[in-house]
Amino acid sequence: MGTIIETNDLRAYYITQAYGVERTVKAVDGITLRIKEGEVYGIAGESGCGKSTLLRILLGAYEPPLTVVGGEVKYHLDGDILDAADLTDEQQRDLKWRTISYIPQGSMHVLNPVRRIRDTFHDFISAHRDATKSESFQLTADYLRDLGLPEKVLASYPHQLSGGMRQRVTIALATILWPKLIFADEPTTALDVVVQRGVIQMLKDVQQKEGSTLVLITHDIGVHANLADRIGILYAGKLVEESDTKTILENPRHPYTRFLIESLPSLDSREERLAIPGRPPALDRPPSGCRFHERCPLAKDICQTVEPDLIEIEPKHFTACHVVEEELSSVAV
Amino acid sequence: MNLLRTYILPRIFQWFLVVFIGITVTFLIPRLSPINPVDEILARMTAFQTMDPEAFKTMRETTLALYGLDKTLLEQYVLYWQRLMVGDLGPSFGNFPRPVTEIIATALPWTIGLLLTTTIISWTAGVLLGSLAGYFHNRRWAQVFERVVVVIYPVPYLIIAFVLILIFVAELKWFPLMGGSRGDAALTWEYISTLIYFGFMPALSVVIGATAFRFIMAKSLTTTEIASDYVQYAELAAVPKRKIILFYVARNTMLPQVTDLALSLGLIFEGALITEVLFTYPGIGFVLYNAIYNGDYNVIMGITLLSIIGVATAALLIDLLYPLFDPRVRLR
Repeated sequence: MGTIIETNDLRAYYITQAYGVERTVKAVDGITLRIKEGEVYGIAGESGCGKSTLLRILLGAYEPPLTVVGGEVKYHLDGDILDAADLTDEQQRDLKWRTISYIPQGSMHVLNPVRRIRDTFHDFISAHRDATKSESFQLTADYLRDLGLPEKVLASYPHQLSGGMRQRVTIALATILWPKLIFADEPTTALDVVVQRGVIQMLKDVQQKEGSTLVLITHDIGVHANLADRIGILYAGKLVEESDTKTILENPRHPYTRFLIESLPSLDSREERLAIPGRPPALDRPPSGCRFHERCPLAKDICQTVEPDLIEIEPKHFTACHVVEEELSSVAV
Repeated sequence: MNLLRTYILPRIFQWFLVVFIGITVTFLIPRLSPINPVDEILARMTAFQTMDPEAFKTMRETTLALYGLDKTLLEQYVLYWQRLMVGDLGPSFGNFPRPVTEIIATALPWTIGLLLTTTIISWTAGVLLGSLAGYFHNRRWAQVFERVVVVIYPVPYLIIAFVLILIFVAELKWFPLMGGSRGDAALTWEYISTLIYFGFMPALSVVIGATAFRFIMAKSLTTTEIASDYVQYAELAAVPKRKIILFYVARNTMLPQVTDLALSLGLIFEGALITEVLFTYPGIGFVLYNAIYNGDYNVIMGITLLSIIGVATAALLIDLLYPLFDPRVRLR
């Protein structure tokens, strides 16, 4: 399986200027990713770690103050390598929905409140494909039936649907043209767990039907465990650990990932879960060295000054941590 | 049936309630004012001659009886309703015994003609330009437009009207200062062109401020709308701009705009008092001004009644038609 999207040392900052004071928020700071065709890649991390920003850049949907200051995003599509920064407006438009699509965060408000669902579908379909109204309706009705959604939602207005149904309709709207690459931003957040399960199942169905690639962003490790093939852990705008889902869940190495996994409730144990000490750093003045050192119980002197590199500690398991690195080298010696 | 009982009937009842309370209040207010129409008339009659005090007293009483003002407030109130039911608004005190209905009927077409035109022009222009300026807020023309409007909008109406009069009437002498038309009323271009000629300045003075107001309103509504999730999402999906502007932005900003249009149309019946006085335009605003000046209760009440019914009816119509525009208020 080839790569479908890659980033190389991607840096994207929010640069704002108010009353002559310039403020730079380093939301994405040197991220290198390779996402393979047909896989479900999960991006996890706490609020404000740059997850959604990264997604916006990958999607090519960003405006100032968010600016890409370094690195690159490349799509590998049908044998061509396209640099996201070089795309013309026309290419952007052609790629959207037919090839690259997006399931937004907070689907409560992404559907036009004064437009029937079927008309919204027609708007989105006809923007990318010659389709008459009745063709669009037919396509939509078939697709919704495949996904197990009731046909009556077609004639409804968004406010007549429940939150879970609206999220499912939004997923259907995003994937109606069978895109190769789907980005989903917190698709299950704000839904109760029963509905979450249905939405996760639906995402799985959509992804597996055509073997699309799904890039899934959520802070909910449980959702990643259900869906993702590989997980990347983001902390303060940096990728701190990346491996397949099983390894991340069973053998996390970075202290931050460990905290994340250990904080998950378990059916077997009733003991109290520890929260990660401290709070996420402000990204306009990130800590020096390893960005996690202020909250890390294992932190050493080197962590405060030298930024750790992402190294492969075992096959296909990458971690950026001085402590882990030292342990490994001492074992090797 | 359910719709009629739970939605339509309560609103019609509300309409009657509003009109009833409004009429009662307008009945009371002029009677509580310090101006008494009888004394006004007698003062005018005795301004250049002296009168025997006894005769003066008799005359005052006769006039009071003639106008029906010698009765108690309650009796007057009951009588007022009785007459109202048969469409009689009583005689004008200032132009006794000309009926108020006749005075209003003569003046109303002028006001409706003037304000209907200005409301439709300013609403259409303001909403259209404001929406486009809101959607294309980064374009240069939109920014220039906005600056101009923001400067014009806070200027008091009186000043705009005076400046227009000074420039176009007094200095350039392009337009007349007073009147509504020239010649006999007829459906000929000759007569209609004089209507436009006389109405142009008063209309322009109203349109400027009203357009600026609607421009600002439309622009801020549009600015909110284009930041909404559904517009952003549609843009992300590369839905054509034309469709986004029409069905996503305009369709949603239209909801408060329609309310504004309907209420403005209802307010037409109140007349444009300052405009009509400044340009001596023969509409009901001008009539109202004279009526207040003379303490002409019946005319004041007739015009107020008209505007109460106008606004209440507009509000009723909005309520009844709103479900057609906004699916969210439809009964399920």
